[in-house]
Amino acid sequence: MSLQEPVLCQRIPTWPWGDPADRHLIGLDEYLSTGGYAALDKALAMQPTEVIAAVKESELRGRGGAGFPAGMKWGFLPPEDGKQRFLTVNADESEPGTFKDRLLLDFDPHLLLEGIAICMHACRLDTAYIYIRGEYHAQAKTLQKAVDESYKHNVFGENSKLGRINDRAPQCYVHRGAGAYICGEETALLESLEGKRGWPRNKPPFPAIAGAFARPTIINNVETLAIVPAIIDRGPAWFKSMGKDRPEGAPPAVPASFGPKLYGISGHVNRPGVYEDDLGIKVSTLIETHGQGMRGGKKFKGAIPGGISMGILGPDQYDAELDFDIGKKYGCLGLGTAGVIVMDEDTDMVAVARNICRFFSHESCGQCTPCREGTGWMYKLLTRIEAGGGTSKDIDLLLELSGSMGSMPGTTICGLADGANWAVRTIVNKFRADFEAKVRKKPHSRLRVLPVGVG
Amino acid sequence: MAWIVKNSATQQIDKRDEPYLDDTLRAELEAEIIPRYPTRQAATLPVLHALQHKHHWLPHQALAEAAGFLGLHPSEVLDTATFYEDFRLQPMGQYLIMVCQSLSCELMGHTSLVDALRDKLGIEPGGTTDDGRFTLLTVECLGSCGTAPCALVNETLHESLTIENLDKVLNELP
Repeated sequence: MSLQEPVLCQRIPTWPWGDPADRHLIGLDEYLSTGGYAALDKALAMQPTEVIAAVKESELRGRGGAGFPAGMKWGFLPPEDGKQRFLTVNADESEPGTFKDRLLLDFDPHLLLEGIAICMHACRLDTAYIYIRGEYHAQAKTLQKAVDESYKHNVFGENSKLGRINDRAPQCYVHRGAGAYICGEETALLESLEGKRGWPRNKPPFPAIAGAFARPTIINNVETLAIVPAIIDRGPAWFKSMGKDRPEGAPPAVPASFGPKLYGISGHVNRPGVYEDDLGIKVSTLIETHGQGMRGGKKFKGAIPGGISMGILGPDQYDAELDFDIGKKYGCLGLGTAGVIVMDEDTDMVAVARNICRFFSHESCGQCTPCREGTGWMYKLLTRIEAGGGTSKDIDLLLELSGSMGSMPGTTICGLADGANWAVRTIVNKFRADFEAKVRKKPHSRLRVLPVGVG
Repeated sequence: MAWIVKNSATQQIDKRDEPYLDDTLRAELEAEIIPRYPTRQAATLPVLHALQHKHHWLPHQALAEAAGFLGLHPSEVLDTATFYEDFRLQPMGQYLIMVCQSLSCELMGHTSLVDALRDKLGIEPGGTTDDGRFTLLTVECLGSCGTAPCALVNETLHESLTIENLDKVLNELP
């Protein structure tokens, strides 16, 4: 544990600073009495460009999975032209293993709203849509209540303290999704917001140029926006005192991992849940300290670093650091959302791969053939291997399939297939013995070899 | 699966005289939802949510009425509605039990829950009990991995489930 004080969880009791049993919804009054909306007032006293510069200087990276520098994203917007510009908040948290944004939405929704207001001021955006996944019924209601309160407090609306932006009163709306994982992909989210099926768009144009309703749009994750008030309040230098710098002498292209991060931990640990700590803590620390060790004292077999699309860490990578450089160092896709799923020695990795492929084949939007067909094909192969009907050729076929679908091999529009293929490839490569043990070495032959001299 | 085309070509569409999208709902949506978006089409999801909340599922007539309200062709609304898992295009049981089957829930033993429900209700996932009280579905991640396994019963999430407390939840339903 290295983080001195909670930042995102400052009002949400979380181990080691508080008891989760004491958690309750922070309403507007409590939020204000604990220093809420002070950062917004501070930001409003600054020029919009100064706010963007502060976020840029903090090197805040997006917390939604891709880890793109937030300040840079904000800087991509074209100059104002007096017409509508949008902020869409990605609260479509649907990747298995990820349940961190839910903590903020459940207990401290005003922190998100403050971040939204600061972003709207900095980027000159007049309308914000919070796209929340359809399954979060209770959270959508909580959030709507908080939005109503914020209107009364003149954060948004006709008398907003943001003033008029693009000659409009700033507005913030909750928009519910309807159970489609793909709508967490930023351009699919925009399509869905426009009332269409959630099919990802080809980029460019990037959303900052032509996003929602073909207007400049910023899309940020809930956690990314929720950390912005703290950056404004206490400054980029304070933010950079937390987390992990890039290795000494490394070029600026190497991602630095500054700031606190919400970690979700689930699976075979004694105390699953969401914890806040510095970026860059080790998986072993997260399991042993935060998660209070493996359930039943079993041995660690593997862990998924952050949502099932990120690949897997093997038993020899127990000490992997959870930072934005994890992908290159440990042979997985990246940090993702830092929703760690832990598996003990009894876990069947073929079943894990099968579960992951079922998810992706179910959630593929069907727009690109390699993903639509490939994820289903891999699911069928894995079901067959799990049932004992596979051959060793199937393992090679799995690797071949997974190597040829996705936006990285350049065969699909979005990254959903990359998620499936990284998961399959890393699981097969790191746990090949599990697969070998389940397949027949040779295919069955219908021809029987008869002993010489018979008949 | 979101992208599978539903059997719309041969389907008989039941019609009733009373509209699903009645005047009260229409006025409410017009005042509350429509002004939020630059286009009427963008209100598709909120309108379908409102209709489904009221009627528990989305009959074709309701989709057609929504299309009229949104200034779209019915096929455009059908296109959107069939894409999303949450929109029910067939009548469902009074209580929809959605058991999460994603990775964390599988690691924590969701299969025993599904088996117990199968025995208790006498239906397979996807089926509805004869009295129309329960529909059982297995769904992907509900965002409750830390308190797995979990299930959504209509709009209420139940976490850290065991066979016993799931049984209790179902028995206590009105």
